Amino acid sequence: MIEIKNAGKTYRQGTSEIHALRNVSLGIDRGEFLSIMGPSGSGKSTLLNLIGGLDQPTSGEIFIDGRALHGISDDELTLIRRRRIGFIFQFFNLLPILTAAENVALPLLLDGTPFSRLKSKAVTLLEQVGLGARTEHRPEQLSGGEMQRVAIARALITDPAVLLADEPTGNLDSHTSEDIFILLANLNKKGQTIVMVTHDPKAAAYGTRIITLKDGVLSGDSSHAMEGR
Amino acid sequence: MNLTNLLRQVSLRHIKYQKAQTLLALAGISLGVAAIVSIAIVNKSVLRSFEESFQNATGRAALQVTGAQSGFPEEILDKVRSVAGVEYAVPVVETDGLLAAGKERSIMILGVDVLTDGQIRSYSLAQENADIPDPLLFLARPDSILITRAMAEREGIVIDQKIRVETVLGTRTFRVRGILNPEGPAKVMGGNLAVMDIYAAQMAFGKEGRIDRVDISLMKGEELEAVRGRIRAAIPQGYTVETPAGRTRQIEGMLSKFQTGLNLISIFAIVVGMYLIYNAVSISIVQRRKEIGILRALGVTRGEIMRLFLAETLVISIVASLLGVAIGILFAGSIVGVLGKIVSIWYARTAVTGISVSWLHPVTGIACGIAASLAAAIFPVLAGSRISPISAIRSAPWSEEGFFTGKRLNRAALFFILLAASVYALYRFAGFSPLLRSSGFLFSSQIFFLLGLSLVTPAFLRGFLTLFHRLLAYRLGSTGMLAGLNLGKNINRNAVAVAAIFFGISVFVNSAGFVYSIKSSVTIWLDAVVRADIIVSDGHPSSSTNAQTIPMPVDIWRDIEKVPGVRSADPWRKLYMDYKGKRVLLSSVDMVRRGEYSHFMVVQGREQELRRLLPNKDNVVVSEPFAEQFGVKPGDFITIPTPSGPVRCGVVAVVVDYLYDSGTICMDINTFQRHWGDRLADHFSVRVKPGEDISRVKDAIQRQLGTDRKLYVLPVREFKEEIRKAMDQTFVFNYALSIITMTIAGFGIIITLLASVLERTREIGILRSIGMLRWQVSAVVLLESLLMGTAGGILGCVAGILTGRLTLEGARYSSAVEYFIPAGTIVWALFMAAGLAAVAGIYPAHRAAKTNVVEALTYE
Ligand SMILES: Nc1ncnc2c1ncn2[C@@H]1O[C@H](COP(=O)(O)OP(=O)(O)OP(=O)(O)O)[C@@H](O)[C@H]1O
Ligand SMILES: [Mg+2]
Repeated sequence: MIEIKNAGKTYRQGTSEIHALRNVSLGIDRGEFLSIMGPSGSGKSTLLNLIGGLDQPTSGEIFIDGRALHGISDDELTLIRRRRIGFIFQFFNLLPILTAAENVALPLLLDGTPFSRLKSKAVTLLEQVGLGARTEHRPEQLSGGEMQRVAIARALITDPAVLLADEPTGNLDSHTSEDIFILLANLNKKGQTIVMVTHDPKAAAYGTRIITLKDGVLSGDSSHAMEGR
Repeated sequence: MNLTNLLRQVSLRHIKYQKAQTLLALAGISLGVAAIVSIAIVNKSVLRSFEESFQNATGRAALQVTGAQSGFPEEILDKVRSVAGVEYAVPVVETDGLLAAGKERSIMILGVDVLTDGQIRSYSLAQENADIPDPLLFLARPDSILITRAMAEREGIVIDQKIRVETVLGTRTFRVRGILNPEGPAKVMGGNLAVMDIYAAQMAFGKEGRIDRVDISLMKGEELEAVRGRIRAAIPQGYTVETPAGRTRQIEGMLSKFQTGLNLISIFAIVVGMYLIYNAVSISIVQRRKEIGILRALGVTRGEIMRLFLAETLVISIVASLLGVAIGILFAGSIVGVLGKIVSIWYARTAVTGISVSWLHPVTGIACGIAASLAAAIFPVLAGSRISPISAIRSAPWSEEGFFTGKRLNRAALFFILLAASVYALYRFAGFSPLLRSSGFLFSSQIFFLLGLSLVTPAFLRGFLTLFHRLLAYRLGSTGMLAGLNLGKNINRNAVAVAAIFFGISVFVNSAGFVYSIKSSVTIWLDAVVRADIIVSDGHPSSSTNAQTIPMPVDIWRDIEKVPGVRSADPWRKLYMDYKGKRVLLSSVDMVRRGEYSHFMVVQGREQELRRLLPNKDNVVVSEPFAEQFGVKPGDFITIPTPSGPVRCGVVAVVVDYLYDSGTICMDINTFQRHWGDRLADHFSVRVKPGEDISRVKDAIQRQLGTDRKLYVLPVREFKEEIRKAMDQTFVFNYALSIITMTIAGFGIIITLLASVLERTREIGILRSIGMLRWQVSAVVLLESLLMGTAGGILGCVAGILTGRLTLEGARYSSAVEYFIPAGTIVWALFMAAGLAAVAGIYPAHRAAKTNVVEALTYE
C-alpha cells in the first residue's frame, strides 16, 4: 500500500551536505503496525515525514495506494495529507484556541464541512479514545495523555489510509504511554495501518513489524527475520 | 550576568532574526525625527529668506515706513525727509509683475528713484557696460528696465531686448537696459526681480502719486528709537515704522499659524514613531517571554531585564535618530521650494533658495528621537520585567501578562471619557473666560476622548469578535472560525493595532466632516452672495489671497457694460491691510449696484439698513471672525488706518464671510476710493441680459477686453468652483495628518500580524500537516487583518463624527456653519479601513503561507 523506492533526503547546509536518508526502499502493507527504531539523528523523523507528505524526497519515489507523493505540487500534497493521512506528534499537537471536539473535527472543517455536521462524529471518536467527558475542554485543560488521545481521534476522523506517529509518548510517563500504545494496537487490530517512530524497544514491540535505521540507511527489518507478531 | 554581555549575546541575535520588526521601529523613529528636523529647518529657512531679502532689498536703510497694500501718498515722503536725524529717505514702489516671456513667470518689480536710490542700495552691472558708473541712469526713459543676471540667463534675455510685462494698463513692452550682478537687491527673490524708474512703475501699476515704502537711513550718531519716535509723530496713524529685523518678526507673526500647522505635523510624526516603537517592543517582549523566563531563572534581576530592553531601544533610537537627521536635512532641501511657494501664495512673496541648518536642528532631532523611543518603550518594558521565571518551564501556549487588565483599562477609559466631557462642558458653559473658551482647550477635550476610546478598544474588540462569532464566523467555515479565535486569544496586543486604525480613521473622518461642513456652508454662502453670471478677474481665482495679480482700472466696468448682452457690471476690490497688528481683508464693492441683486448674510444687525447706511458713507460691515477677534458689534465704531489718515467707521452689521478666516471688513467702493485714492479693481461681477447665453457673452468680453491684458472671464459656476478649490488648499494639513495616521495604522497592523504569525509558527505547522492549504493559511491571516480593520473602522467613524463636531466648534468659522455628517466619506472610511488592513495583511499572510511545515513542527 505504501511503496518507497530508493528514497533519499539530503539537507544542504552552506557547502556541506547532510544525508539524512540514503537509498531507503520499503513496502508497507495494509493493516501493518510498523515501528521505526534507531538512534537519535538516524533519520526516523525524516522518513516518517516523507511517508506523510510533509516533505519531499531529494531522490527516489514514494507511493501511497499507487499515487505518487514525489514531484507533485504543494497543494496536491496537502490534500493527500488532509484526506489520506493522520498525524500524531510528540508535543503541541493541538490548536490551543479550539476545544477538543473542534480539534478533532479540524481536518474536515478545513474541507469546508460545517462543524454542526461534524460534531457528533468528533464526539464519537473522542468516546472511542476514552474522552467522552472532555469534548468541550480546551487543550490547556487536558493532561498530556489526554492531549495525545485527542490527537489520535483527530487523526482518525478522515478514515486515513495510514496513521503516522512520531514518538507519540515522548512526553508522557510510562503508565500513560502504555495506555496510548494499547489504544494504537487496538486500532491496528481493527485494520488501521500505523507507522510509529520510537526509541523505546518496549514500545516498538507493540508493532507487527520493526525496522531499524542507522545513519540514514535501513539496517534491519523484522519481517525478513520472520519475527512479526 | 552583565548588560553588555546580554546585549552582545542576546539582543544582536534578535535584531538579526526580527528584521522586519526592528526595521519598522527604526523607520518609525527615523521618520518622526526626519519630520521634526526637516520642518524646523524649513520653517527657519523660510523666515531666513525673508530676512535676507529684506536685508538685501533695504541696503543701508535702518528704518522703513510701510502702509496699506495699495500704497500711500508721496507727501509722506516729504514729511519723513523733514524729520531730524533722517539722512536719506527714498521712495520705493514694490509690486508683483508677470513676465510674459516664454513661460509666464511672476517677478517682483522694484520702482526706485533714479537720483537718490543709490544712497541706500548699491547696484552693479554685469561686464558689458561696466564702464558706466551709475546703473540707475539707464532707467531715465519710462520703458527702461533692469533685470538680474540670474533671470537673463534663465530666460535667455540679452541687453536691449524687449520684454513684455503685464501691467495695470495691459501688457506693456519694456527694453532691457542693463543686467544686474547678483548683489544687494538683485539677490532678492532668487533673482526674479526687475528694477524700473519709480515714475514709470507708478504709471504701469496704477499707483500714480503713491508709493509703497520709504526706506530711511540715519545720520551718524542718531539713536534709532528716537528717530523712529519722531517719524511716527510726523506722519498720520496707520503706518508702520519698522527696522528690517522688525519686518522679519512681522512676517514671523503672520506665518505663525502656518508654521504651527507644520509643527503639528512633526509632533504627529513623532507620536506615530512612538506608536511603532511601543508596538515593536511589546511584541518583542511577547515573543521573548520564554527567553526572559529563562534569564530570570538563571538569576537576571528585574532591573537588569528592564535595562536590557531599554538599552536595546536606546541603541535602535540612536541609530534611527541619526538616520532621521540625515533624511530630514535631505528632505528639507527638497521641500523648501514648495513650501516657499505656498507661503508666497497665501502670505507674502518670497523665493527660498536654500536651507539654513544650525547645530540646534540635529541636536533637537536626536534628543526628541531618543526621548520619544524610551518613553514609548517604558510600559511594555515594565510589563516584560514582571514576567516570572516560571514562564520558562510552563508550556502554556499563550497567556496574557496581567499588566493591562481589562478592568484597569476600562476604568482608565471611563476616567478619560468623563474628563473629556467635563472639559467640553467647561468650554461650553464657562461663559467667556478666554482661557477656557480657547480652541486649544477644546482640542484637549478631543484628545482625552480619543485616549479614552483607545483604552476601550480591547473591550470593543472582544464584543466585536463575539458578534462576529455569533453571526458570521461559521458561515466562513474553518477560516472564519480560526481567524476569530486567533484574534480573541491575544486581545490586548491586537487591540493596539485596532486602536491605531481607530485613531487613523477618526482623524480622517474628523477632518472630512470638518472640511465637508465648511465646504457645504461655503457653498450655501457663495450661492447667496455671489449672484452674478460671470466674473471678470485679474488673476486666476484659485490664487485668491495674495497672489500675483495685476489689478485693473476700476472704470473698466463701463467697457464691460458696452459688450452686447451684458446687463450690468460692477467692481470689487480686495486688499490686505494691517488692523491692530493683524492682517485683515478689506473688501469693497459698489453697494448700490451690487445691492440690486446680491445680499449679505447678516448675523447681527438689521439688513434693511445696509442700503441706507453703506453707500459712500463711513460705515462698514465686518465678518464674524473679525467681530469675534476684535470684540466689535453693530453700533460700535472702529478706526481704520487709511493712506489719508485714520478714519472712524461705524459698524452696521456682522455678516457671514468666508473669504479670509482672519477677518474681513467690507465697505462701499466709493468710500474706499475716497480714503485710499485707489482706482483699481480685482474683479467685476457681470450679469447678462435675460435670455442671453452666458458662454457667448463671456467669449465676447474676453474678445473685447482681453486683447491687451491678461483677463480671466469665468462663468460664475466655475468661479465658485475655483474658490472652493482654493479653500481646499487651506485644508492640506488636515489631509496630510489623515494620510500620516492611516499609513501608521497600516504599519501597526503589519507588525501585529507578523508577530502573531511568527508566534503561531508551530500552530501553522500543525494545520498544514493535517491538510490546510497554503491559501487557507493566508486567508485566515487576511481575515484577521480585515476584522481588525473593520473593528477599528467602526470605532473610528463614531469617534470621528463626535470629534469632528468639536473641531468645527473650535475653529469657530462662523455661526452659519453647521455640522454635516459626511455620509459618503464614512462609507469610504469603512471600506478604506478594511482595505488598508487587508493590504497590510498581505505580507504577514504570505509569510504564514510560506511556513515550512517540517521546520515548524520541530520548532517548539
Ligand atoms: N532541516 C534540516 N536541515 C539540516 N539537517 C537536518 C534537518 N532536519 C534534519 N536534519 C538532519 O538529518 C538527520 C536526521 O534527522 P531526523 O530528525 O530524521 O532524526 P531522528 O532519527 O528523527 O532523530 P531523533 O530520534 O533525535 O528525533 C539529523 O542528522 C539531522 O541533524
Ligand atoms: Mg525524530
